[in-house]
Amino acid sequence: MTAARVLVVVPAHNEEASLASTLAEVRAKAPGVDVLVVDDGSRDATTRVAREAGVPVVRHPVNLGVGGALQTGFRWAYEHGYEVGVQLDADGQHDPAYLEALLEPVLAGRCDVSIGSRFVSATGYHAPWNRRLGMLLFSAIARLAIGRAITDTTSGFRAYNRAVMNVCQHDFPKDFPDAPLLITLARRGFRLCEVPVVMRERQSGRSFYTLGKQLYYPYKNLLASLMALIRRPV
Amino acid sequence: MTFLSRTQLITALGAVLLALFVLELVRRRKLSEEYSLLWVMATTVIAVLGFSTPLLTWITHVLGFLGESSTTFAFGLAFSLAMLLYLSLKLSRLGFENHALTRDLALLRDEVETMRHGGGGSAR
Repeated sequence: MTAARVLVVVPAHNEEASLASTLAEVRAKAPGVDVLVVDDGSRDATTRVAREAGVPVVRHPVNLGVGGALQTGFRWAYEHGYEVGVQLDADGQHDPAYLEALLEPVLAGRCDVSIGSRFVSATGYHAPWNRRLGMLLFSAIARLAIGRAITDTTSGFRAYNRAVMNVCQHDFPKDFPDAPLLITLARRGFRLCEVPVVMRERQSGRSFYTLGKQLYYPYKNLLASLMALIRRPV
Repeated sequence: MTFLSRTQLITALGAVLLALFVLELVRRRKLSEEYSLLWVMATTVIAVLGFSTPLLTWITHVLGFLGESSTTFAFGLAFSLAMLLYLSLKLSRLGFENHALTRDLALLRDEVETMRHGGGGSAR
């Protein structure tokens, strides 16, 4: 794809069912990028599946949540000298066919973080009303905070350049790396941009967003967004 | 001063027993000195207030509470809340540290495995 060193970080928690096909798809559709699986305390064969696919694996001894897994991935990427890190879900939601489009603005230096967005153009994504309401709310908050629109704050399909990874390896939200993260990054002076993507239904496994988290999510993200606004970006 | 009332006796006894228990826990290294401080302070307050009825009555009057028992409960509740907040604080900090240690451990293990396999990529 490109000469720049790109690492796709795949956080995986009990994803043995879908991981193999996700990894195979990345290899087929984006042969130029490296892949790292962060096994976030899985109790199933996630690590074995990744190793059989010939992909390096870093394993958390306990489950930290998607934020912690990404943080580990970014640090690994940074220490191994990668220029760009991409977060890509293990469950097959993110189509690696869009990797090139996602990477392009970061590699070209036009922005520091690029977000694969379902809403930049009509991509046929339909969320349940409560998710939709939350997405509207947090994109409104992000707009207020950042001063420009981020239409898809909850997208987990993003590319980060080396400077952003350097920050994120030390400071990253623990559980939901969404609106508060974007606000923090924008306040640190990083440029965010959005790239239209189409996302698929997850192949198997459970979403990170279980019922308890559905109740906790709005509270936590509202508070964290507020904190991201009033905290001094260090 | 006349003989101690029954309430004063029970309170004093309770406070002394609690203080002894806390100190014993410190001696057996079950409780750190840091945490014992709050408990020793609490037992001291219980002992003093329980013993000195005039002091308790005075505080009740100054704070405008309805009775001495209200004052006692108010102090107890305030202490419990303070302790709970302090523990949440400690727990959060432990959580952050645990999070960081887990990530470090994962990366170190990866490094060790890479070195064992002759440096050919991360744990193959």
